Amino acid sequence: METNKKGAKLAIVVIIAYLLIPLAMTLIYSLFEEWIDVLPKRFTLTAYMEIFSDPVFWLSVGRTVLISIVPILLCTIIVLLAMYVTYIYKPEWDKYVQILCTIPYAVQGVILPICVLSLYTSVPKPFNNRIFLLISTYMIVILPYIYQGIRNNLHGIGANKLIEAAQMLGASKFYAFFHVVVPNIMNGVTVSIMLAMAIVFGDFVIVNTLAGGHFQTAQMYLYDVMKKSGQRTCAVIVVLFVVTLLISACAFFIQRKKERGTENGVH
Amino acid sequence: MKQKKTYLLALIPFLVLCVLFELIPIIYTIIRSFVPEGEDFGFTLANYINIFTKPLYQKAIVNSLIISILSSIIGLIVAFIGAKAVHESKGKLNNIFMSILNMVSNFSGVPLAFAYIIMFGNVGVMTMIGSNYGIEFLANFPLYSIFGLLLIYVYFQIPLSTLLLIPAFDAIRKEWKESNALLGGTNFTFWTKIGVPILMPSILSTFSVLFANALAAYASAYALLMNNVSLLPIRLSEQFVGDLVQRPEFGSAIAVVLMVFMIAAIMIQNKLTVKKGI
Repeated sequence: METNKKGAKLAIVVIIAYLLIPLAMTLIYSLFEEWIDVLPKRFTLTAYMEIFSDPVFWLSVGRTVLISIVPILLCTIIVLLAMYVTYIYKPEWDKYVQILCTIPYAVQGVILPICVLSLYTSVPKPFNNRIFLLISTYMIVILPYIYQGIRNNLHGIGANKLIEAAQMLGASKFYAFFHVVVPNIMNGVTVSIMLAMAIVFGDFVIVNTLAGGHFQTAQMYLYDVMKKSGQRTCAVIVVLFVVTLLISACAFFIQRKKERGTENGVH
Repeated sequence: MKQKKTYLLALIPFLVLCVLFELIPIIYTIIRSFVPEGEDFGFTLANYINIFTKPLYQKAIVNSLIISILSSIIGLIVAFIGAKAVHESKGKLNNIFMSILNMVSNFSGVPLAFAYIIMFGNVGVMTMIGSNYGIEFLANFPLYSIFGLLLIYVYFQIPLSTLLLIPAFDAIRKEWKESNALLGGTNFTFWTKIGVPILMPSILSTFSVLFANALAAYASAYALLMNNVSLLPIRLSEQFVGDLVQRPEFGSAIAVVLMVFMIAAIMIQNKLTVKKGI
C-alpha cells in the first residue's frame, strides 16, 4: 500500500513537471537576451519594457477586454430573459432551449466562424459589419457555459420557492425573477462568466476568421510579434497568461466565497 | 383563464440570436455544400466526392482523424494515471496538482505552439543543446510535422482530460478493493475487471470531448505550420479566407464533414453508454 502511494505521488510530480516545462521555458526565454546553451545568459527586462511602452499593445489589450465584456454581458441578459420564460411559464420549453445551447459544441473551433462568415459576407449593412459578427459569434460560443451556469444556480437556490414567497408578498412574477432571484444567483453565474471571459480572451481562430486584420486583439498582436522577435513574443505570452490567470482566480474566489456563504446558510 | 402572453417577448432576443447566428449559418452551410461550385442554385454531390477522392483532402481527413484519436488516447492514458494517483493519495500535492491543471488548461493555441517553437523549433533551446552536444534526436527534432503537432495536441488534452476524469474516480469504493483482495484479486485484476469497467462511461464521454476538441482545433496548427499542413480545419478555413482562390461551396462541404465527425463522436459515446445500461 505504501509503495502504491509513493507511485501515485511520483506520477503526479512527473505530470506536473511535463505540464510546467513549456510554461517555465517561455518565462525564462522572455527574461534573458540569449539562450543557446544549457543555461541562458544576460538577464534583462527590455522585452517587457518594450511591450509595455508600445501603444499598439495597450490598444489591442483594450480591444480584447471590450470584445470579451460586450458579448458576455449581452449573452447573460439574453439567457436570463429566456430562462425567465422557460422557468416560470413554460418549463416544457426548456428542453428546446437546452438543445439550442448545446449545438455550439458540435460547431466548435473553426466551424462556426466559417459558417457565419460564409453567410454574412454578402449581405447588406449592418449585418456584414465585422465587429457585429464577431460579437454575435462570441455570444453563441459562450452560450453553453452561460446557460449551464444560470440553470444550475436557479435549481441550486430553489428559485421557485423564492418566487412563490415574493408573490405572496405582492410582487409580480417579473419583479420576483429579476429583483429577487437574479441577485441571488449572480454570484454563481459570475463563475461561468469568468470561464466565458477566459475563452474569449484566449480566442484566436474566431477573431482571425471573422475580423482578420481589421480588429487587432491581444491574440492577433501576439501572432504579429511572433514573426518579429522571439523574446518579445514570450513576454507577450507571459503577460496574457497572467491576465487569464487573474480572471480564473477571480472565478475561483467567488466560488469559494459562495460555498462558504452556503455553508453558513447565507445566500 | 385567459392569460396575457406578453412574457413571451422575453424569449425573442434569445431566439433571434440563435436563429441568426446558429441555425441559419449552419443550415445555409449544409445547403451550400450541395450546390455546384460557382453557381447559385442546383444540386450536386461533387463537393463531397471531391473531398473523399482527391488525395489532398483525403490526407487532411486521415491526418485529422489520426491526430485527434491518438492525442485523445494518449491524453486519456495520462489522465487515467493522474486521476488514479489523485484518488490514491490525499493531501497538499493533490491541491497543487488541481491548481496546475486548471492553470495550464488556459495554455493553448498560439502561445502553446510558440512555447514548443522556442523549445524544439529550428533555433529552439533544446535543438541548440542537441546540436552542441551531439544529441541527434534533439538536434533534428521533427517539430514542424504531424508528429510535432501531435506533441502539442497531447499537451492541451492532458489537463482537460484529467480534470474531467478526477471526479469519476469518486465512484470507486474502498469496499470493492477490499472484496477484490479478499477474493484473491491483485491490484491489476481490480483495475482491469472492476475499476475500468465502472469508469467506462466517464472514460468514453471524456474521449468524445477530447476528440471534438482536437478535431476542431485550429490555432496551434496554424501558428506552427500556417497552411502547410493537411488538417481539416486548415483546409476548411483556406476555402474562405487567405490567398488561395475561394471555394465556398466546396468549403461548406468540408465544414459539414467536420460537423458529422463531431456529432458522430457524441452519438457513438451515447450509444455505447446506453447499451451497457449504466
